[in-house]
Amino acid sequence: MNFITSCCRITEKNCLINGRIVAHKIEDSPESWFKQLYKHLALEYPKFYKMDMLSQAGFLASEYLKKEYPEFINSYADDEIALLFANQESSADTDIRFKDSYRDHKSPSPSLFVYTLPNIVLGELAIRNKLYGENMFAVLPKFAPDFFLQYGNILLSTGSKALMAGWLGVLDGKVEVSVFLVERDKDNRMPFSEENMIKCFSDQA
Amino acid sequence: MTFIGAEEIVGPLGQNIQENFMAVRENRTGITLANHAGFNNEDINLAKITSLEVKNKFEYLLVDVLDKISRKIDASFISSPKTIIVVSSTKGDLDRDISNPFEPSVRALTERFELKNQPLVVSNACISGVLAINAASNLIRAGAYDHAVVIGCDVISDFVLFGFQSLFAVSALPCRPFDKSRNGITLGEGCSAVVISNNKEIFETAPLELMPGTSANDANHISGPSRTGEGLYRTIKRTLEQNHISAQDIDFISAHGTATVFNDEMEAIAFDRMDMADIPLNSLKGYFGHTLGAAGIMETAVSMQMMRHDLLIKSLGYSESGTSKNLNITTENKSSGLNTILKTASGFGGCNASLVIRKL
Amino acid sequence: MDSLKEDLKKQIIEQLNLEDLQVSDIDDNSLLFSAEGVGLDSIDALELIVLMEKFYGIQVTNPDEGKDAFLTINTMADYIEKKRNQ
Repeated sequence: MNFITSCCRITEKNCLINGRIVAHKIEDSPESWFKQLYKHLALEYPKFYKMDMLSQAGFLASEYLKKEYPEFINSYADDEIALLFANQESSADTDIRFKDSYRDHKSPSPSLFVYTLPNIVLGELAIRNKLYGENMFAVLPKFAPDFFLQYGNILLSTGSKALMAGWLGVLDGKVEVSVFLVERDKDNRMPFSEENMIKCFSDQA
Repeated sequence: MTFIGAEEIVGPLGQNIQENFMAVRENRTGITLANHAGFNNEDINLAKITSLEVKNKFEYLLVDVLDKISRKIDASFISSPKTIIVVSSTKGDLDRDISNPFEPSVRALTERFELKNQPLVVSNACISGVLAINAASNLIRAGAYDHAVVIGCDVISDFVLFGFQSLFAVSALPCRPFDKSRNGITLGEGCSAVVISNNKEIFETAPLELMPGTSANDANHISGPSRTGEGLYRTIKRTLEQNHISAQDIDFISAHGTATVFNDEMEAIAFDRMDMADIPLNSLKGYFGHTLGAAGIMETAVSMQMMRHDLLIKSLGYSESGTSKNLNITTENKSSGLNTILKTASGFGGCNASLVIRKL
Repeated sequence: MDSLKEDLKKQIIEQLNLEDLQVSDIDDNSLLFSAEGVGLDSIDALELIVLMEKFYGIQVTNPDEGKDAFLTINTMADYIEKKRNQ
């Protein structure tokens, strides 16, 4: 059986781990919300600042999950954790910025272009955690627990032993991030089901 | 067992698989010089479908190819509740709606063909096509569906061309995969589809066997490939191991071969690490250009045709080895029994994927 | 020349998203692409080419040309001066 062993939700105002608010946006700060979260995590990872919003969102959620559950990554071989993510708008947040970068004959920005694919966040997670396993980024009309359940279970029965999965809705200030860890045979939390995925995120702000 | 067949292609070399394979067989390229296409108005080599000037090109191609597929297999399978459509694309209909690049076309496809299940869009850089085939195969093997049509599609846009130009990754001349003088990609566009099923009987022309494939990340850099080819090596190794196949069982490799200096070098290192340096190998990007989200499907479709005709196809654009490990790159068409082939793909984000197809 | 170097440092920090760096952190002779220096990577190198065009009107048509020119702040400033005087 597969179990959700941790979940992280980030909205425009809050960051929650397993239903508990761990960070709240400081409105009158000069720093952006994601930068506040990065500082709150007290990490030393300057690559963060080069990431686009979608990659920062995935990175922050995964780091909060790791903080809550530090043994997770090292409990598995380097190819046993699969990455399964989705959203509705693909890399649109960065696509719009990239398109803007070459308006009116300005030179297109290479550092923006490399983020104009939604799966780059998987690359950032893989680099940070040295993960050599399965990857997939899908684009769906809305958060689809049935997709994560169906495909997540498939990954867990074809070689992967754990998942870092979730929805990364990031576009023009909107933040709808729901990331969860799923593990086989870890009978200490919620069974991996559609209902529990929704529960993970619905009673939260 | 999972079957793959009914392959189809619409692109610069033709409107169907027969036209496309005939062109490839005759070593004709779909790459031509497009005037003033570049960021500085320079002429750029592209593999464009020049005959197609429609609004919403992306949607048009998806519908056209699925329509062609519906004439190859019983059309009722497409609208069956046991069928899923998987779409593989990097940018979708970007120019139509940058914030919503897939939904309008996917909805049009759903309505037109009365699809019973929400199509799955796989958007995972240049491995999307191989990854989408693997996903369809996994879903069918798990019993979630009986059939899948996997459609890969991407169209050329200023957005993508200018982006690759900003990386200095676009070749001035038609691309030369694995060649010593290679210096970048040639962008292409097109739409291709394959049908995957647990039932051999739905195919008009006998299908081939699709073995379950895998993906693996380099965990190294988001846009540069791993110097040791780690991710590609791992996906090939895993795909072979889980299917109990050894490197020696592979008759032909359809490589990714984008013709950038770094990508082709990385692939050579990975294939060499797998002791596959002697296996006949080609890149098809000299014919079709780099079709991004369509590449994995299109190149698998051509490889299937190669198997059906037992014909190795020349790796167009190659004449002298330009990688630190030499590969056995096909320099001319040659008849050869092709029973088991390996298809690989690599992409931005450090991703890599592979699959194996075998004759029944 | 000094104000050029100072401007360059500010532009690099901003264009390349080097958030935690101040102008005073970048030594004129620091190797820009070394891990012990400023630690820039291959994408940063391409952004420097965009920077050359955006702030100095200099077109670098071949990224290899950039390799020598972009070793340190000093070499960059020399490169800009040379191109300006052409």
